[in-house]
Amino acid sequence: MDRTFPFGFPGATAFYLTIYVLTLVIHVLFMNYVLAGTGYLLFCRWRDGSGSIADRGLRAGDVLRDWMPFALSGAITAGVAPLLFVQILYKENFYTANLLLYHRWMVILPVLIIGFYMLYLLKTQWIERRSALTRGVVTLGALFCFAFTGLSWTENHLLSTDTASWPGLYESGSMVYYHRELLPRLGMWAVGSIPTMALLVAWQLYVLQRSGQEPNELEPRRLALLAVVGIALSVGCAGLYGYQMTSEVRSHVTGVLAGPFLLAGVVGLVIQIVAWLDQGKKTRFCPRALAAGSAGLLLTIIGMTTVREAIRLASIDVTPLYVRHAESAEKGGLYVFLAFFGINAVLVAWAIRLTRSRVVHSAD
Amino acid sequence: MDVPYYPINDYEPLIKGLVIGGLGITHVFLAQFAIGGGMLMCYFQWLAQTGRSPVARQFLDGYFKILVLISFVVGALTGVAMWFTTIQVSPRTIGVMVDEFHWVWATEWTFFCLEVVAGYAFYRCGRNLPDRSRMTLLLLYTVGAWFSLFWINGILSWQLTPGQWGEDRSVWSGFFNPSFWPSLIFRTITSLTIASLAACVVINTMTELRRDLRRELINRAAFCLSPMLLMPALGYWYLNVIPPDSRSWVEGGSAAMTMFMGIAVAASLLIGGYALVGLIAQRLYINGATATLLLALAFGATAGGEFVREGVRKPFTVREYLFSNSIRADEVALLREQGSVTADPFPLRNAGIYANEQLRLGAKVYRFQCSICHSMGGVNGLTHLAGTWTTDQKRMNIAKLQNTKPFMPPFAGNAEELEALVQLIEWHAAGMPRTWETTSNATVLAEIRQWLDEAGTESATRREVALIREER
Repeated sequence: MDRTFPFGFPGATAFYLTIYVLTLVIHVLFMNYVLAGTGYLLFCRWRDGSGSIADRGLRAGDVLRDWMPFALSGAITAGVAPLLFVQILYKENFYTANLLLYHRWMVILPVLIIGFYMLYLLKTQWIERRSALTRGVVTLGALFCFAFTGLSWTENHLLSTDTASWPGLYESGSMVYYHRELLPRLGMWAVGSIPTMALLVAWQLYVLQRSGQEPNELEPRRLALLAVVGIALSVGCAGLYGYQMTSEVRSHVTGVLAGPFLLAGVVGLVIQIVAWLDQGKKTRFCPRALAAGSAGLLLTIIGMTTVREAIRLASIDVTPLYVRHAESAEKGGLYVFLAFFGINAVLVAWAIRLTRSRVVHSAD
Repeated sequence: MDVPYYPINDYEPLIKGLVIGGLGITHVFLAQFAIGGGMLMCYFQWLAQTGRSPVARQFLDGYFKILVLISFVVGALTGVAMWFTTIQVSPRTIGVMVDEFHWVWATEWTFFCLEVVAGYAFYRCGRNLPDRSRMTLLLLYTVGAWFSLFWINGILSWQLTPGQWGEDRSVWSGFFNPSFWPSLIFRTITSLTIASLAACVVINTMTELRRDLRRELINRAAFCLSPMLLMPALGYWYLNVIPPDSRSWVEGGSAAMTMFMGIAVAASLLIGGYALVGLIAQRLYINGATATLLLALAFGATAGGEFVREGVRKPFTVREYLFSNSIRADEVALLREQGSVTADPFPLRNAGIYANEQLRLGAKVYRFQCSICHSMGGVNGLTHLAGTWTTDQKRMNIAKLQNTKPFMPPFAGNAEELEALVQLIEWHAAGMPRTWETTSNATVLAEIRQWLDEAGTESATRREVALIREER
């Protein structure tokens, strides 16, 4: 590929690739919040259980516990759009991987339901009255559910690109697929979720801070430390992942196709580190540092999501699919979608705005 | 023309239809609960803010919490599960649906986002909001939920009645197909019914309220059951617009279809009758057990209705376009020529258990053409269905499959494959012995070819439709 993503592809393919990546970015934001947030909650359980912290004010764990079910709902809702477009782009690969993993794949659904209810359970007073062990087990259970889902998606994704292994895996009847890239790739995405969660929670705490609910004064520093550690770990995992790649795939990632996006991702990481270092020096949340961090985060996520796609494009020959993409693009409905996308975006904003209405009822 | 091959999983002794059916019914029930719940809550909010019911607000907040806990979790995830399960059962069908209607699905997604955001906004902040904001949020939620139904209904009803889409391949011809409106209105009323019955269950759990207050709430909720009166007319409309052969199965042509239709109608009548006498005329008080029973009946009616909707589509998943076994109508001739599994890249999982190569070929043919609706010895098992047929009868009946049973697709392979399938059924029926003689009689194969030619490559539905019209 001698042009940068997505310009080297025919119009229809480029269009679907772009819309897929953009919708995936939204999903990744929510997903990162849930995955890293549950992990952080587990850490909070351990920390609070040990009695080492006895400080006051709002903490990230309180916000996470409160918002986690909504974030998971958001992750599922936002996940529907890329799930739709991946079927247009890589239909046979995606379907085959689903079928080969069979029950192992389908089990993510009940697992997600269990994880969802565990998040609701973590919000209840009932769980707060239970022992530290019970609270820890429930949090660990939720984390396991989301980690398992992440593992399954990574497995599915890698299998969908490894067409040579399909007949053999099917014949063996195995529903488990292992690839040497699996763990470093999963690790990169898992620890890479930490800076996203830290930033989103920081924004939430900032909003609460503005409304007079003062966060704990150590929280900005804690979140900054957490984000920087997350960034460092994800860079380490990315290095390991890059090392595991074949030279052909690596050349796609660093070459014309995805090189600029890789660079954008790295620049985004640097901006995030600078912003967090700035935030870490303060005892209150600073919107300027958070805004800079957000810009960096967005750059990193868009960059890395595109790099992820470039890796897939290096593994799958999409040339025969161009015709099908062009056929799909001819189907009607795009303008209806765009119109309702706009209308519903306004309605969503209105719904959020309505929650700020004045309180008038207190009878019940 | 390239026929895609997928790694097909074996569900023995179950069949794929049972899995997708069970999940589909659960999802439809929960989704309709969410849709009707929105409408019901708007009504109760109106009762509260106009002072018509002093406890409507209290009920509303409790009801919404349950709706979020059930519908936003299990309802949403079973929706995703429907997609994944359809991929497991028939990747080609979902592939066609996505190709044709991806922008419709994307549009539905925008409404889904609205539903989730408005719903959570009400869930988190509703208690502290003024009436006007509460009502607006509930209306936004209801619009989001109902339009999700609107869009998905177009895709689902297209499968049975593609209408003009068959000729012009236009998304909107397919979407606004002949059964779109009756199906949409029917489902809207069903949603309201489910939500009302669920409300009766919830109200009975509000033990902090006096019985007379609970009774008042129940009567208000029961008022939302009154649109059920339109159901017979809508059912009649729906039956009139579906293809005549599909209708004939419901009207007695297929015992299973007629029975499930009967279950759906009887359950609906029972609910409607109880609603009329007990709730709307206010002759009876409905307690928690009765409300739960009525809700279970509504589930039964949904199950019966969905079974019929799926069943009457046979032998297609997309009428006149894609057969139930994921073979396109225009591919049958080609597959008869080149063999249906010649290009299948996936080996058998347990090739060693078969006594000879012919049986292995038969197993591949069974996997590709039959296993979506049949097992070998379990549910809808071939050894049961064809067990009493003689070998020649099997050959002829399978060669002329669409004539043997009009809800079956034509056999889409060559004579050698058909003979291999016949041998496989007999081998299974014989208890899978270690040795089995390979049959290769040229006369038999010639006879099979002749039967295949006589049956043709089209489904029997067109002929059946013509026959039904002639009879009338």
